[in-house]
Amino acid sequence: MSSEQFLNIENTLFTAAMVIYLAAMVLYFAFLVLKKQAPGKIADGLTLVAFICHTVALVTRGIGAGRLPMTNQYEFATSFAWGICLCYLIFLWRYKFRALGAFVTPVIFLIIGYAAMQSRDVRELMPALRSNWLGIHVASAIISYGAFGVAFAVSLVFLLHTRMENGSFMKEHIPDREKLDMISYRAISLGFMFLTFVMISGAIWAERAWGSYWSWDPKETWSLITWIIYAIYLHLRISKGWKGKSAAIFAVVGFICVIFTYIGVNTLLPGVHSYA
Amino acid sequence: MNWIKKVGRVLFSMKTALVILVVLALVCTAGSVIPQKEIAAFYENNYPEKAAQLILLLGLDDVFHVTWFVVLAVFLCVNLLGCNIVRFPSLVKRMRSGYTPEKVLKTGGAFELTQTREPEALFKACGFSKWQETKNEQGAKALYAVKNKVGIWGAWLCHLGMLIVIVGFSLGQMKQIEYAVYGVPGQTKAIDETGYELTIDDFVIGLREDDTVDQYTATITVKDTATGEEQSGQTSVNHPLSLYGMRFYQNSTGWAATARIYKDKELLQENLLCAGEYTYIEDKEGLALTFSAFYPDYVEDEAGMPRSASSRLNNPAYLYRLYFNNQMLGMNVLKEGEVITVDDYVITLSEPQQYTLIQIKRDPFTWLAAIGAILMMAALMIAFYLRTAELWMVQQENGAWMVCGRSRKGGVEFEERIRSEQDKLMKN
Repeated sequence: MSSEQFLNIENTLFTAAMVIYLAAMVLYFAFLVLKKQAPGKIADGLTLVAFICHTVALVTRGIGAGRLPMTNQYEFATSFAWGICLCYLIFLWRYKFRALGAFVTPVIFLIIGYAAMQSRDVRELMPALRSNWLGIHVASAIISYGAFGVAFAVSLVFLLHTRMENGSFMKEHIPDREKLDMISYRAISLGFMFLTFVMISGAIWAERAWGSYWSWDPKETWSLITWIIYAIYLHLRISKGWKGKSAAIFAVVGFICVIFTYIGVNTLLPGVHSYA
Repeated sequence: MNWIKKVGRVLFSMKTALVILVVLALVCTAGSVIPQKEIAAFYENNYPEKAAQLILLLGLDDVFHVTWFVVLAVFLCVNLLGCNIVRFPSLVKRMRSGYTPEKVLKTGGAFELTQTREPEALFKACGFSKWQETKNEQGAKALYAVKNKVGIWGAWLCHLGMLIVIVGFSLGQMKQIEYAVYGVPGQTKAIDETGYELTIDDFVIGLREDDTVDQYTATITVKDTATGEEQSGQTSVNHPLSLYGMRFYQNSTGWAATARIYKDKELLQENLLCAGEYTYIEDKEGLALTFSAFYPDYVEDEAGMPRSASSRLNNPAYLYRLYFNNQMLGMNVLKEGEVITVDDYVITLSEPQQYTLIQIKRDPFTWLAAIGAILMMAALMIAFYLRTAELWMVQQENGAWMVCGRSRKGGVEFEERIRSEQDKLMKN
């Protein structure tokens, strides 16, 4: 098959994934509003199907482009959405927390929607991007941002927990506040560890490409700001027992910072990462 | 001496660390939003008067190098170091005697999670491979196990790693040497005052079919002028070359051209100029030529402005400026074969070729920052995934065992696991 054919497949699968995520989101809402099991179960299945389509779309784009699909706004946005879905499915499997889908799928849909608005042209890589560190650096960023995305969604559930009806259905499908807090902490721990690795791998790569492992480029600086925000969260939590609502608000702020690091910095603060 | 203790307590406290981190985040935000290292006039022209004054007063125009930022970094290091020194004895004590059956058995049933009749199976199912037999204060038989004790060191090691990264980076900033040498193949230039010379043997720009650049590769020779010894190699983007303890990076490229100055058809002067460079006409004091830009495939856009249609040498043209006593006489685009005439002088620009800029760097402390980074990663894994947990069981009069457990970081998840494993054992 030719590159063009692979890219056509990618195009179809990407659109399919986006539509299925949307359907899953609607069903998750129905699950919460109607308090019926069936829409939730179907939504879980659809999310998995969308994730598979999304994964195959990324693989076919990689084959069609002849490189890792992680180098421009479209590719990183779709990978970012993929990372959130991956982390969500892991947390769904681990904690059986289906209602989280109603909060995660809108985030996935918004990010994949943002990706859909970007140019999908396949461009050859500039020399600085032709490095094995590209895959390591960006893949770890995808996992990190994905985990922070899940923490954001869990924190939203936490913040809305008191307003939710306290029926048996809710009790069965939404963990208590203590557990929500713990799930959010676990997601942030995972994201923080990978974010640290993103910064370290980026520094190693920058040293090889530009001769300086840290040069206060806006992207580097905003990664550091995000890292500091989550470091403060972890410190307050561990040392001051700062859990619950305050921690949830912090997790939401942290994710806003992640979004700014990804989209805001690229569009508002050009630097050496302007291609990403 | 009380005041020293008080200052130390404040300086090494978590509160101070958090304040420093918040200030650091705010400074970083300012540093990323405010353009850095511009001249004062830039801020005066682009910001309201008061804001510009504040930017220049606080050094926000070069915030990552201003003295108070360095002081802030020093405070962070002192805080990290102090925090680690203060916590070290208590961590050692916890490691040696913090996890003992005597301590937890005093708490009685406060941590009761479930009951079991298969204590050993439950220990194993919950990931505890060893346990010890003892008795509680009432003389009842008890079993105690602890795992992942090393987990308590995670945060401590992470702080140490971060401290090493900051120290390594700071020392590198102070001690590193950095030079740039640019030129075309065949040129030899001194690497500042290092005693080494760099010769550019070759410079190749690999182009793809669509005209985009695949790779820039420079072949260079470095000579130790004291001994005459030479070493050669290739450097390309992402593949720096290490010679004589220095790293040579293929940094950037641009166009160069040969400027020839004639008078009465006699060649007076010949200079190789890289774009942006100038040369004085030696025969005429005060007259200078600047080679401003090069267009390999010259075209004019709709507004008549010069641009290059491609990177191929299809229609070369040179943008130049002429100055006399620092006053600009004129600016124009010179196409291949055309000449510039000034008084009795005829000037040509020709033989375009691409020059390479080689960045040379020696940072003797990169290894230190690398060790710190590795330590930080390892420490985070220890902190987040080796969660210290204790599980103990006390035999009741009816023969069943009261199961208690606690894990500061494992929390509710750890407790749920104990209950869940016990449920599984019951079902089996």
